[in-house]
Amino acid sequence: MKMPVLDVGLPSHLSVHKSGGRDLWSEPMETHPEDRNAALLECLHEVLDPEIPISLVDLGLIYGAEMDGDVARVRLTFTATACPCMEFIREDVTDRLEQEHWIRAVEIEEVWDPPWTTDRITARGRDILRRLGVGAA
Amino acid sequence: MSDAFQVPDLPEDVRAALRRHILALADTKRLLGLRYSDWLLGAPSIETGIAASSMSQDEWGHARLLYAMLKDLGEDPSPVEHDRPAAEYANAPSLDEPFSDWAGFVAAMVVVDGALTLALEGFSQGRFDPARSRVPKMLAEEEFHRDMGLAWLRRLGQGSDEARARLQQAVRAAVPSSLAWLAPRDRAFGLLVAAGLTAPAETLLDGFREAYGEVLRSVGAEALEPDFEGWDEIRGRGPGQPAEELVERARGDRNRALLLD
Repeated sequence: MKMPVLDVGLPSHLSVHKSGGRDLWSEPMETHPEDRNAALLECLHEVLDPEIPISLVDLGLIYGAEMDGDVARVRLTFTATACPCMEFIREDVTDRLEQEHWIRAVEIEEVWDPPWTTDRITARGRDILRRLGVGAA
Repeated sequence: MSDAFQVPDLPEDVRAALRRHILALADTKRLLGLRYSDWLLGAPSIETGIAASSMSQDEWGHARLLYAMLKDLGEDPSPVEHDRPAAEYANAPSLDEPFSDWAGFVAAMVVVDGALTLALEGFSQGRFDPARSRVPKMLAEEEFHRDMGLAWLRRLGQGSDEARARLQQAVRAAVPSSLAWLAPRDRAFGLLVAAGLTAPAETLLDGFREAYGEVLRSVGAEALEPDFEGWDEIRGRGPGQPAEELVERARGDRNRALLLD
């Protein structure tokens, strides 16, 4: 699986996109993937937190993602109940997924159970945060 | 969970009581957030002002999730958030008027926010699935509010005679109406308890006394009793209503014309 985020180092410029969550998006896949659930997760790996260049998957915000026909169903949480980036994140997820030809629609379910904690950050995410100088105890 | 309520099966009076409970929690969260925000630049230190900012943000996040529970009852939360008059707000009464000084802020952190947290704990342990799934995250965020409130209460309690007197006055003023709001003794709350939707009033009061009794007594608030005089059974709170100016801010009246899709 492709893991594009930050493998080339830390961003050295301000985002020129609608949100920083779009800085590392790939072009849409040219063919329909055989394993669409895996491809869905691969796409979500490209959606970054708008404030810190770490993918939502590595941040542990994706609680589930699967294809239901041609509808992508994503279970998403946030780091805080008053996260100021909620709308950015929802839009980024939706727009990234809907650019794929094999996804007709995206349905996001906002979930809070179990509550997000830093324990949900992946090892890879911790490494990225460490390189950014952000602690995640 | 298997014992969770199916909302369509709720008797009408229980559904109305549940709606009242959700509004009491959400309105208190929203107005508490505004009252906290009044002190972002008036706190005793920059760090404390930043903490007030964070707490204010938390309260609004919690309010948003609580108002959204109305959807689970089949009601659009938008008019409830943006159109209701002040007279319908079900907030804890000590938020009706601004905190007169920092001691008022500290008293609210401990007494109002503390009562609110107890109420949420009771709600999250009941049979309403949206509360079970959403409230634990709120409670985790509230731990910092509790720590901050207790630290400031102790700090002022060890301060000058003037500081102790003002703190005592603020705490004594906040306790009776907040405890009545936390633990109503009316029919609607009884319906909620009987339906297993929240904890019994006495359990909530005992929880408050256990959590805060010692520290509140140490600053001169000996009587931790609710005052039900003038009780409003429709809203589930004591008499009075929040200031119009506060509710205009809560509803976003001045920015209504600027709303974007």
